[in-house]
Amino acid sequence: MKNKKAFQISFAWLFAIIVGAFILFLAIYGVTKIMKTGGDFVSSRTGAEIGVLLNPLETGFESGRTSVLTMPVETQIHNRCTIAGSFGKQIIKISQKNFGKWSETDVDVGFPNKYIFSDANVEGKNFLIFSKPLKFPFKVADLIYLTSSENSYCFVNAPERIESEIFDLGQENLYLENCPSDSINVCFDVFGEEVECNVYVNENMKSVEKNAEVVYYETDALMYAAIFSDFGVYECQVKRLMQRVNGLLAIYSDKNAIISMQGCSSNVDIFFLKTEIDRIRSSEDLMNIAAVADDLDRQNDLESCKLW
Amino acid sequence: MVRNNKAQMKIQQMAFMLIAVTLFFVLAGMFFLRISFSELRSSAELVEEKNALLLVSKLANSPEFSCENAFGGVKINCVDEDKIMALKTNIDKYSGFWGISGIEVRKIYPLDELTECTSSNYPDCNYIRIFSGSSAQSSGVGVSNFVALCRIEGGENLIQEKCELAKIIVYYGGGE
Repeated sequence: MKNKKAFQISFAWLFAIIVGAFILFLAIYGVTKIMKTGGDFVSSRTGAEIGVLLNPLETGFESGRTSVLTMPVETQIHNRCTIAGSFGKQIIKISQKNFGKWSETDVDVGFPNKYIFSDANVEGKNFLIFSKPLKFPFKVADLIYLTSSENSYCFVNAPERIESEIFDLGQENLYLENCPSDSINVCFDVFGEEVECNVYVNENMKSVEKNAEVVYYETDALMYAAIFSDFGVYECQVKRLMQRVNGLLAIYSDKNAIISMQGCSSNVDIFFLKTEIDRIRSSEDLMNIAAVADDLDRQNDLESCKLW
Repeated sequence: MVRNNKAQMKIQQMAFMLIAVTLFFVLAGMFFLRISFSELRSSAELVEEKNALLLVSKLANSPEFSCENAFGGVKINCVDEDKIMALKTNIDKYSGFWGISGIEVRKIYPLDELTECTSSNYPDCNYIRIFSGSSAQSSGVGVSNFVALCRIEGGENLIQEKCELAKIIVYYGGGE
């Protein structure tokens, strides 16, 4: 007769094993969820704080401002943009390095009043930011240019006005001479073989070529935007900026009605600019809009009651 | 029979023990979550407060408020009163735009009773509520900054630019 007792498990043991396993599963599941929530919390808080810390970059008299954003750990800033809604949204997603792994988050932090121009993903611990107002023909917004301190930009053959602006900014990763060997070369109207260019700026065409993609700009503020950002980010932000111009045009139109009641109306016709903006499909259309905007600015300058 | 009862007793003991352990973990988890959520809330409030404080100092220079060149050259911290009255009528588009719960502009001299500006009484008023969380009045905590408030004033044969001292107030924490 065989002894079966060796394989026998009492009910108490069986019960303890099943319930114990269940408790352990719940505990592990709970801890994982809490860690994910904690990660999301840190990412969303960091994203929101970055957005808030960009408020002082709003310019007044000055042409540009620079500042440094230092993160406690290695961080990836994912720059996203949407044109949904009246003014679209600047979306920031943050991933931070924990135990050698990048945290993943689904949390998006959105800012309708910010325009950040950068690569779609910027990585580093220190981020260098400068801002510049965009006038089109009135002030539309302050454009924010975000780069990682790990990336250096070398401006080759830059026009004098750009050289003096970069010199005045004093941003540590923007070089005019003695550029580090691994820097990103931004070439102005240079198409020779002597310099290996990563970004081509054609001042005549008002275009910037980067990663075999061409975008168009008007004003220096948008030229920097095209240099520092990816194709997708740039095109989306340009559309958002035009949405803002549209919003401001409505305000200036109503302002004209208000000052008319004071006996001081303006003959600036903003209708044409609105029509051009409504037609925008890509940055290539900026040239037409800029021509109308310049006309409008000239008209406004001649008025005794200026709208802007 | 006695052995059977003893075994049943042990099973009951184990079951109660397991229930107690589970309850302990659940309670500990709830306690932890409560602390986490209160931290989350205070953190969100802190970010909101920071946003309002930083925003109020720069809001006057933003395109929807600033005087630009309309009053003889570029002026810093100058709010175009005619423009913000126009903004007030277009405010629906700007819902959630600044991430705050309200914006007001109050003239601080002369110290008259507050009269809210509407399209019918403008410019004979001293308080412009651009938007607020509730319809009656601005809610939440307010932070303010001094600005120059300029507008075009038409007389019988004279049109002049009039600038007055005002306070721009940004409200946060009142829900937008």
